[in-house]
Amino acid sequence: MPDRIYFDYAATTPVDPRVAENMIPYLKDQFGNPSSLHEVGREARFVVEKARQQVADLLGASSDEIIFTSSGTEANNMALIGFVEAHAEEEIHIVTSAIEHPSILKTCRYLEKRKVSVTYLSVTPDGQVEPDSLQAAMRPETRLVSIMTANNVAGTIQPICELVRIARQHGALFHTDAVQAFGKLPFHGGQDSPDLISVSAHKLYGPKGIGALFVRKGIRLNSLIHGGGQERDLRASTENVPGIVGFGYAAEIARQGMASETARLVSWRDEMIGHILGKIQGSYLIGHPYRRLPGHLCLGFSGLEGDMIKLLMLLDKAGIAVSTGSACSSNHPGEASYVLQAMGLDPLKARGSLRVTLGRFNTQKEIDWFLKILPKTLAELRPMTTDSFSSR
Amino acid sequence: MTVSDLPGLNCGLCGYRTCAEMAEQLPMKPELLKRCLPMSEHRERSFETKPFSVPSPKKDCGACSVACAPEKTDGVKWKDSLGREFDFYLEHFPEDPGPREIIIPHNPMITREMEIQRGDILIGRPLGMSCGCPITHCGVVMEVDKRTGVIVWCVTGPLQPRQHGFKDVGYYIAEGYEGLIKQTRCEPKIGMRYYFQPQLCMLQWRHSGLVNYLNRLKDGYQVRLEGLWIG
Repeated sequence: MPDRIYFDYAATTPVDPRVAENMIPYLKDQFGNPSSLHEVGREARFVVEKARQQVADLLGASSDEIIFTSSGTEANNMALIGFVEAHAEEEIHIVTSAIEHPSILKTCRYLEKRKVSVTYLSVTPDGQVEPDSLQAAMRPETRLVSIMTANNVAGTIQPICELVRIARQHGALFHTDAVQAFGKLPFHGGQDSPDLISVSAHKLYGPKGIGALFVRKGIRLNSLIHGGGQERDLRASTENVPGIVGFGYAAEIARQGMASETARLVSWRDEMIGHILGKIQGSYLIGHPYRRLPGHLCLGFSGLEGDMIKLLMLLDKAGIAVSTGSACSSNHPGEASYVLQAMGLDPLKARGSLRVTLGRFNTQKEIDWFLKILPKTLAELRPMTTDSFSSR
Repeated sequence: MTVSDLPGLNCGLCGYRTCAEMAEQLPMKPELLKRCLPMSEHRERSFETKPFSVPSPKKDCGACSVACAPEKTDGVKWKDSLGREFDFYLEHFPEDPGPREIIIPHNPMITREMEIQRGDILIGRPLGMSCGCPITHCGVVMEVDKRTGVIVWCVTGPLQPRQHGFKDVGYYIAEGYEGLIKQTRCEPKIGMRYYFQPQLCMLQWRHSGLVNYLNRLKDGYQVRLEGLWIG
């Protein structure tokens, strides 16, 4: 039995030791400012540009289309607010979905107060944005569509290429929040690829505090952070050199090993789904059965939704870290629910889900252990209904 | 279908490392093809050029719960997540770690048997009579009445129990709430029963209760509600 099992890779990933090792020199001796003209600075500039190329390669992009930010959240803010501010004289309508990350939804709310109109698309019960609903929402003044590549709660992958084509037909740009999908799904940079893509390092076995926005050549954005003109004048502040180096190397590792890692995670995911749905009475899968992120399971257990917090704590006590949206919590009063509610789950089910997300450092032994522990742990919970009721 | 018909991205999303590996399996398992996500993404789709309707930017379009979630400051809708009306929001005291509740375990003896005391972290579920909420609650004990078994606690959420452990009281009855009214659409009166919305109720279901203590403050009311029901 492993001491501790981490099954919350959608929340964050551990830094790959190879990435950490690559970052260390830039936390110690190689401390230069990339904007400095001397050799110490030039060394820093060299590694920043190398990392930019590594991130671009994983996106199928050119290095001069990558703007480093502090996070995926900042990249999302930059994409939406930067676009609107660069077109301040125009009437702007944005289309997004009801299940986006708060860094998109709250930014849209912010923009709505600034005379931008926003349409929030509903999703299917398995969490997909239907191309027809996007088609119907497009207006002559629609300038930007922002739909996430894959959802962080349900794990569902969106039909991005189809959605991009619709946006193109109507002359709108397409942004995608690819924070969960980056390094797991292929990006090709082709004609039906998004114009703006937000990514983050810490979901990719890189460090926290570094993200990036892909900005297709020719797209006009305004800067949100003003200062020294770094990042093509789009994101002032001295570059986070160790973070950028780590991000670049994490992207390089992901690019080289993506196929085998993805196939392994898909295989484990499907094994776990099959086992749990087959053996645990009342269990159900939330989201699409296979159009979902490789290591991502979102599960519910009928009659036990209200007790998910206890499940989480019991699993935690057993050394297994998972995630749940069930907390009746003053810390996170509404977290996760809006995504699952938008998918048509009632408020109780929307909070009573268990999210298990696998990653690079998990093993078959850990999967087996979890599958053994889970039914026993569920048996310790207090069902909403009596035994005779639930067995009817 | 041969390997040359597949996208050749070798992305692994179908569960096979390469398109060639998948192609080998296809004759036996043709249903695997739908698992090729890049292929389904790239399939040709003819978009009719029918004129599209322009949806009005109405807030109550019903398209999603996010865009139309009740605003808590401007434009309060006074409806809970099930569309039922209520009269005020109940907020917790700012100095408290969470909403203050007066509870009694279904077996009040366990307050003594488990030696529950101020500062303990408890979990339990309000069952049946009074607020029969389906959610397990977590909280910190503020006061204990060992004679009657009544406990005053502040509901805090799961982080503390996860970090520090907890005592499980099983089922309990929520006897009363204490808190602040800062947003109301009526003048609350003592002795009257109201529908109200606990600000941090995760289900955002309205509750009802009898006001049996009311103290007017400069920016609202300090209130105690008893005889609680959900709905």
